[in-house]
Amino acid sequence: MAGRWMELGRYNADGIGGGDALGLGIERMVTGLQSSPHSERGIAARLRYLTASEAGYTAMERAGISVTARTLYAWLAEERSPNPANRLKLDVAYWDLRRRNVAADLKRRLMSRGGTRVEINPVDQTRVEGRHQRDLATRRLSVRPRVWDAAVDAWLADDAEALDRIWDDLIPDLGSDYDAYSNVSSIGWAA
Amino acid sequence: MAGDKSPSVESLLEEARLAAAMPSPEERLRLRTAAKLSRTQVAQACGVGRQTVANWEAGSAEPAPPARLMYLRLLEGLAQLHPAPVETPEAAAAPVPMPPAAAVPHFAEAYSAFGPDGLVVQGETAPCLRCGAPTPYKATDGRSLHPGGFCPAPTAAPTPTAATSRTAATSPTAAMSMAVAAAAAPPAAPAPETAPVSSPAPEPGEGTSPAALAVQHAQRHQSQRRARSAARAQADTEQLIVRAVRTELDEAEGDADAATAALIKRAIPDVMALFDETRANARYDYTAYPALPDILHKPKKGDPDLIWEARPNWRHPDYRRHPDGALHVTALDVNAAYLSAMKTWLPIGKLEHSTDGVHDRKRAGVHLITPPAWEHRDLPNPLGDRDEPGPLWVTESTLRLLLRLAGPKYRLLDEPPHIHESWTSGATENFLDALRVLLAGARTKAIETGDDVTEAYVKAMYAKFVSTLGESIHNREIMRPDWMHLVRSQAFANLWNRAYKAHQAGLTVISVMGTDELHVAGDWRPVFPEGRALGEMKVKTDRDGEPVTYTVTAPDGGR
Repeated sequence: MAGRWMELGRYNADGIGGGDALGLGIERMVTGLQSSPHSERGIAARLRYLTASEAGYTAMERAGISVTARTLYAWLAEERSPNPANRLKLDVAYWDLRRRNVAADLKRRLMSRGGTRVEINPVDQTRVEGRHQRDLATRRLSVRPRVWDAAVDAWLADDAEALDRIWDDLIPDLGSDYDAYSNVSSIGWAA
Repeated sequence: MAGDKSPSVESLLEEARLAAAMPSPEERLRLRTAAKLSRTQVAQACGVGRQTVANWEAGSAEPAPPARLMYLRLLEGLAQLHPAPVETPEAAAAPVPMPPAAAVPHFAEAYSAFGPDGLVVQGETAPCLRCGAPTPYKATDGRSLHPGGFCPAPTAAPTPTAATSRTAATSPTAAMSMAVAAAAAPPAAPAPETAPVSSPAPEPGEGTSPAALAVQHAQRHQSQRRARSAARAQADTEQLIVRAVRTELDEAEGDADAATAALIKRAIPDVMALFDETRANARYDYTAYPALPDILHKPKKGDPDLIWEARPNWRHPDYRRHPDGALHVTALDVNAAYLSAMKTWLPIGKLEHSTDGVHDRKRAGVHLITPPAWEHRDLPNPLGDRDEPGPLWVTESTLRLLLRLAGPKYRLLDEPPHIHESWTSGATENFLDALRVLLAGARTKAIETGDDVTEAYVKAMYAKFVSTLGESIHNREIMRPDWMHLVRSQAFANLWNRAYKAHQAGLTVISVMGTDELHVAGDWRPVFPEGRALGEMKVKTDRDGEPVTYTVTAPDGGR
């Protein structure tokens, strides 16, 4: 985290770290199954997605699903239904795999046409006393393809520190008051 | 010009003849504006770009051969239709236009004298040589003269001719030369316009100082230019719609259905581009991706958020549909309900929380309210068909409707709604107005000319714009679910207003449904104009194009 705004909220400003906001923005671009992990339809869809490729079995392994092949066949044939703990694990495994699979597409969307322009909304200062308030406006910044590449990789690895570093390298382009944008209320973009 | 690769001798001769008498740039502009032609029209006729025509009229470029003949022919024809008021076009075409002072030789000898500080030289107060009123300002020859020849109103200078005023006003050199002309040139155009400005202010020192006049002129010129450029910008933006339709029709080789399908497909990016166009030089900078309060987030994709849009779905409880009923009901449709609803109070920035329970007219957003009871059997509840009691989140549009109904003009509610919490931001009613006006204009034009393709395209644009303003994956350019809710509930509020109008006019409101459906019994034609324009109503038709009418039983049980 860059600069002097280390203590967010000392004067009641409200916001989140820029790196977190970046990760949330990328997360928002991921779409997938909408059915509940506890409904029959949802379970079947997740199982189908996870058993379609080798990567699916790896994802289940990573999520800690350790069932015998026989149980898995029974789930697939809908003879038996996974217990609630395993349903949640299936959900975790599904989203894990889904993120990996869409990452390439996200990169393509974000990196095409020379990168994507990002709107940065400053921290919420409504509860900050007048004398401590800063004059902050909504800013816009073009984020270049190599930055998006690194950001999506960091998001996929769930590496908050790397996202933070990427954000800190980005904001100096905003000018001399870039410090004030280490924390933001939200960021967004169209891609 | 496309066909003839080797121009004939006759056409070359004609071109040479016309080029010899080519009008001056000012005259070109005058002829075009007199004929009320746009630059785009002229450019299309000559086969050049719009900017090229602008350059010809500004004098920064001369017409070059391929397009020159057509342009000159056009100008010749226009010159016959609109001869110059004073001088003939040939005279105006002289390479060095006569100085405007020569047109009014009357005061040619009197010029204001400027000191080294750029202000008019002052001396003893003496009668002005033009109007006779005393003034301290001096002319070059030492006699007294109001600065720049701008005498106060009562004995104003004789009005210069329209021709010179026009050439001065539209001359290519912009505000600078206007300012200079205002201060230095003796009699020219602005004199009659300035007179009323200076006359109410009696102190001659301040109101008529050349510097102040120069500023006034620069301002007026700038505002004129702004108005002109706004009109031009709107014309250019309208061209975007026309061009898109033309492109898709060309692509589909004239197949209207295919072109319509293609246009509907590209409606969302196109309408966002139009929105950006209308926001150019706008006063407010909005945020497209604000941090949203939880109430505006969908709990899950596909699930609704907590905002109640007050969609009506109401039938009069006393009337039953019956084939032998006594009352004849007509189903009416509001035209382009969402397009009209784009005129609504919209929050500009990030929504801020407040719990003071006071409604601020300059802000808009969403509010948690406890609505008062609705006790009117003949009118739908403005809150729509909500069965659950207790507090609910409503939008600004609904809240304003409720407040109005509780007010002295209507008195339909016993008390205003009780506001518990609000998420609001500073608001404006004109936010989407430029877009609304643009789309409404295109829609009207398309209906007048029977252009179904453009009409379907415009409809897709405004409908999809409203429905994808929120967290839609089909439109990522903007994420304002609050705007989406506000525009929708404004449409429902507008429908409620129409139901109320029908009720006040003595019609029986039988049903109010969805966004745009109003079923009334009685003669509705005196109440609502019939047609397809935004303020009018049309009779709803079923799938076969038949008007929807039915009969209902009267409340006393009579069959």
